[in-house]
Amino acid sequence: MRLKPLAIATLAALCALTTVGAQAASPAPSPAASLTRQQIGALGKIVPGHSSKADIKALLGEPWRVVQFNDCGEAMDGQDDETWEYRGTDAAGGFRLHVEFNEHGTVHLFAKMPDKPPNGEGTKAAVEPGGSSMGMSM
Amino acid sequence: MLTMCSAPRRRSLVGAVITLACLTLATRGFAQAYPPDGPNIPAISNTEDASGAFGQDLHAPPPPNAADRESAWNMKVEGFDDNQGRPIYQPLVVNQDGREILYLGNLAGNLLNPLTGKVEPNGTSVIDVTDVHHPKFLFHIPGPPGAVGNAGAQMVRVCSGNVLPRGEKGKWYLLRAYGNAGPDEAHQVWDVSDPAAPKFIVTIVSGLSNTHKSWWECDTGIAYLVAGSKADGWHQSGPGQHLKIYDLSDPTKPVFIRDFGLVGQQPDADVANAKSCTAAPGPNCYEGTKNPPPGIHGPISMGTAVNRVYMPYGVGKDGVIQIVDRQKLLTGCTLPTASPNCATRPTQAELLYPQVGIIAMNAENGGHTSMPVLGVPMPAEQAHFVDGKPQKKDLLVVVSESTANNCFGQAEHNAWILDITDEAAPWPLSTLSVPQSPGDFCDRGARFGTHAAAEAIYPPYYGKLIAVSWFNAGARLWDIRDPRNPRPIAYYIQAPNKNTVASCARINGVATCHNATMNDYVEFDDRGYIYAADRAGSGVTILSLTGEALKAVAPPAK
Repeated sequence: MRLKPLAIATLAALCALTTVGAQAASPAPSPAASLTRQQIGALGKIVPGHSSKADIKALLGEPWRVVQFNDCGEAMDGQDDETWEYRGTDAAGGFRLHVEFNEHGTVHLFAKMPDKPPNGEGTKAAVEPGGSSMGMSM
Repeated sequence: MLTMCSAPRRRSLVGAVITLACLTLATRGFAQAYPPDGPNIPAISNTEDASGAFGQDLHAPPPPNAADRESAWNMKVEGFDDNQGRPIYQPLVVNQDGREILYLGNLAGNLLNPLTGKVEPNGTSVIDVTDVHHPKFLFHIPGPPGAVGNAGAQMVRVCSGNVLPRGEKGKWYLLRAYGNAGPDEAHQVWDVSDPAAPKFIVTIVSGLSNTHKSWWECDTGIAYLVAGSKADGWHQSGPGQHLKIYDLSDPTKPVFIRDFGLVGQQPDADVANAKSCTAAPGPNCYEGTKNPPPGIHGPISMGTAVNRVYMPYGVGKDGVIQIVDRQKLLTGCTLPTASPNCATRPTQAELLYPQVGIIAMNAENGGHTSMPVLGVPMPAEQAHFVDGKPQKKDLLVVVSESTANNCFGQAEHNAWILDITDEAAPWPLSTLSVPQSPGDFCDRGARFGTHAAAEAIYPPYYGKLIAVSWFNAGARLWDIRDPRNPRPIAYYIQAPNKNTVASCARINGVATCHNATMNDYVEFDDRGYIYAADRAGSGVTILSLTGEALKAVAPPAK
């Protein structure tokens, strides 16, 4: 069935309005549902001690979740760090990329956390060199 | 119903159901009478014989499952909500005109709200848990925008307009912290009469640099706000917060009453030259072991009848526990002898005026929660002791917050039961502890140790059970019917899920991250359901008691 030009124009206008409306209702960019294969391949470019928030955003886009656990005013070193998380899937299964920033907005730790680590085992994280021997997070 | 409720208890599912039904029915209808809704304290019956815990069948807690699996002992999962993946600080359940509404104060961050399609700063979640098996997420009230480090809305209290002296009848009001540690934090009031459509009412106080866990007496409207600002002149080590007391009897028109804190925190204290009030009492001294004393975490008022406010300072170190005369606290600055600036810059004498009792903790432990449990029968002292009559004690459950991941860098944190029958001389009666093994909690990642005690007064549990959040060791319950010998009686450790935030620690140069849940708070509702809220973003789990734990709260047999 062929649409008449007026109907096409109306449909296009409605679509445009819907898009504008959606943008107006969502001031913050929506996070990507999952990292792309290209983004996953670029994770090696994250350098603790050097990469900034802008670098991470340029590389991976908006995080799925941002968290910060400062409370009670008694956090240990590093516990009030801002953490960005991304979701992804690769050959080993689902994972979350966990990126922590220091107070200057520089990555000081990141880890690729499997969604289901066997027996709850820990995952080694990459950290900036020379940090405190007991830097804590969360 | 009385006959059924008085029937001999049997070890059967039917018996458990009857007990639960009896507990529920016994509390419906007058649940609003207890703090924070009213001045009454539930009477606690003695259900132990003279041998107390010695005569109980002491089952050792079973070891937990592996860290990636759920573990439950004498508790059963009834429901769950993922809270959109937002890390929770505090749960609060309110029976709102027959609907059970769960309010969650969230830690800082931001995440997509599927209900609005917007990325929202973490604030206050509103969930209908009337049907615990099918919680319904109603609304998320966003937290403050801007820098994530300033954000969150961790604390929440709710009062009915029918109970508040000058509230609008039929309305419900929510008090919350707005931001945590930024340059312009605040406390706010919202109208949550329709919990699916909260409406902002008023900012009580802004320009704060610290907020924390406030208390709101619904029957009087008095609100004890935990707050601090760089400009207020108050001195604190660690958390920079003291009390700002307001009259919110009409929550739309907040009225400031006064600031309050420990001696040594007042703006005119000469901190550089202050001496310990214990070692060198004088006109310029500080309470506790740290100069200046650490900030308050969260007060609990027992209302007009008990006339006491219980105040923990220090969170996880250098703690002080203070008991205060409520009436003197509220009216002290209206006395003819009060100094001109008593309300904002009280003198040392004006801070001491309402102080009834105080006890200093050591450097390893702080005051996070001080929950009073008043009039607890002492089973071993129902005869023979004192005047030969049944003895009761007033207790204070004190909890120190663990703040280290993987146990590294600090001592083990516990909870204690203090005897405050003699308020002027609080004294430890017993310790609530969880061993790090079995379970290898120090190697599970995240924090292991105490955080907070449940604060809701649910009469069937009051004086019988204590619930304490133990971070990666889950929600922990003790039978305290013999307060000298509390026994572990139930626990629940949530399994990590797809929303669990990793917890990382760098020890001796090696950084490791774990998916570990962290039970931040345990709380009760007025049906006896138990809410275990996860700090690591894994959601909130609704639980019920089973087995020995359910038996421990059963009414005395007739």
